[in-house]
Amino acid sequence: MGAILYHGQPNGPSFSVLAALAESGLAIETRSIDLLAGERHTIPGLAEPLARDMGLEGEGPVLVADGEAMTDAVFLAQYFDEAAGGCGLQPADPYAHWEMMMWCRQLTERLAPAAACLGTLAHAQPALAALGGDAFAALAANIASEDLRARWQDLHDGAFDTAKLADSKAKVAQFAQRTEDRLADGRDWLMGDFSIADFETYGWMAGMRALEPEAFAGKPHLTAWFARIEARPATQAALAHATVADPSAAWAPGPEINRWG
Amino acid sequence: MADIALYHWEPNANSGKPMLALAEKGVAWDSHYTDLLNFDQHKPAYLAMNPQGTIPVMTHGDLVLTESTAMMEYVDEAFAGPELMPADPRDRWRVRWWMKFMDQWLGPSFSMIGWSMFVGPSVRQKDPAELEAAIERIPLPERRVAWRKAISGSFSPEEMAESRRRVAQGVALLEEELGKRPYVGSNQYTLADINIFNSTYSLPLGQPDLAGPDKTPNIMAWLKRCYDRPAVAEVWAMGRTDLAKRVSAMMELL
Repeated sequence: MGAILYHGQPNGPSFSVLAALAESGLAIETRSIDLLAGERHTIPGLAEPLARDMGLEGEGPVLVADGEAMTDAVFLAQYFDEAAGGCGLQPADPYAHWEMMMWCRQLTERLAPAAACLGTLAHAQPALAALGGDAFAALAANIASEDLRARWQDLHDGAFDTAKLADSKAKVAQFAQRTEDRLADGRDWLMGDFSIADFETYGWMAGMRALEPEAFAGKPHLTAWFARIEARPATQAALAHATVADPSAAWAPGPEINRWG
Repeated sequence: MADIALYHWEPNANSGKPMLALAEKGVAWDSHYTDLLNFDQHKPAYLAMNPQGTIPVMTHGDLVLTESTAMMEYVDEAFAGPELMPADPRDRWRVRWWMKFMDQWLGPSFSMIGWSMFVGPSVRQKDPAELEAAIERIPLPERRVAWRKAISGSFSPEEMAESRRRVAQGVALLEEELGKRPYVGSNQYTLADINIFNSTYSLPLGQPDLAGPDKTPNIMAWLKRCYDRPAVAEVWAMGRTDLAKRVSAMMELL
């Protein structure tokens, strides 16, 4: 179909989209870009940049099809599944499908901003702070969304709020517990059958294991689930896109933390 | 008694989404009006159904569903009737993208303004001790913060300014989108139209500086297409507050 998937290191949404693509078997060209260098904001050939510019995921992957930017990891995974005629990434039963969508919605609203906050602070902040003022200003000038640009600016300036940091740690711990509880009945995958929810949850959690180890301690079902995901060929195919030793330590600004509190 | 029950507030924002989706599908359902302004959604019987205390909740037989946008996708998939999602995968992606943009970026800004102008003043005259007790029953901490701010009218000037900025930009983007296609994200009426209509059905009345016949002709033409649907008339007739009365004023404007 001539589409090109621009992605970062296989972590967070770039991981889940690459893994879903591998699962779908669609022949879509992939191109690795440096998200923390702002390369997502200079992708060439975009006649319709809206979803790149105003997407809520932050620095997630961008699929360019006929000049239209397509974003949001969950919806891209659904797109691959549907464009492939159904490759088993979404439950066919309407209630199970609802459960998957609800899980992903709550994950992208709660876990994803928290993980991005902690991940960028630990792994992206030093590199951004080291950028000179002019170099950072040139990068930021390409970012269309005012609120995403503000998140980059805060990270560059090292302006973080200790309450948000504590809240992010709590949200990572809560979601790890929620995932452990979900798996406690002995199921292999979050929705029973394998689905997008597994890749999406793995993508946002993988890098949290090293940063928030106590959130993952004493959770046997979660540990076994991580191993099952990692054993999937599509996971290995996604991770093979890495150009750094540890892609789970690659972060760039993510979704916004809920403005309402 | 129908197999489907919906616990909803006004046809507006989140409650209106499944109401309208069910009406479009022609599905019969039992209505349980849940008065947001009376904190019905934080009472024990409601919390037993939905521990997060958010409106709406739908039950289908023994199944309990929350989260209005995902609930609409369920309605579309589980019942016969007209398809409310397009068939083309890229159109489906675009419909989902717009619904998220409304649910998580534009919608919260609309509601911050709406809460400060309508919900806050509507409940503020209640007994302060009773209000405090009601707030304490709210399960989600961020909703407790939001209710406190709405009731006391203490959204900060910066928060309100940011919400107004987002609403202005979001309305401009919607106007642009509706210049590309007759409906949001595709060439047919879908869940994205239902979703966005629920937050914009009276936009030219509430925000005449941003939307109206001269400023946003594409939005006005789209609103007219939505208002012409029998399901909209059927659902908005169920409203009990002044919100639903805006519909007749809108009809005159279109």
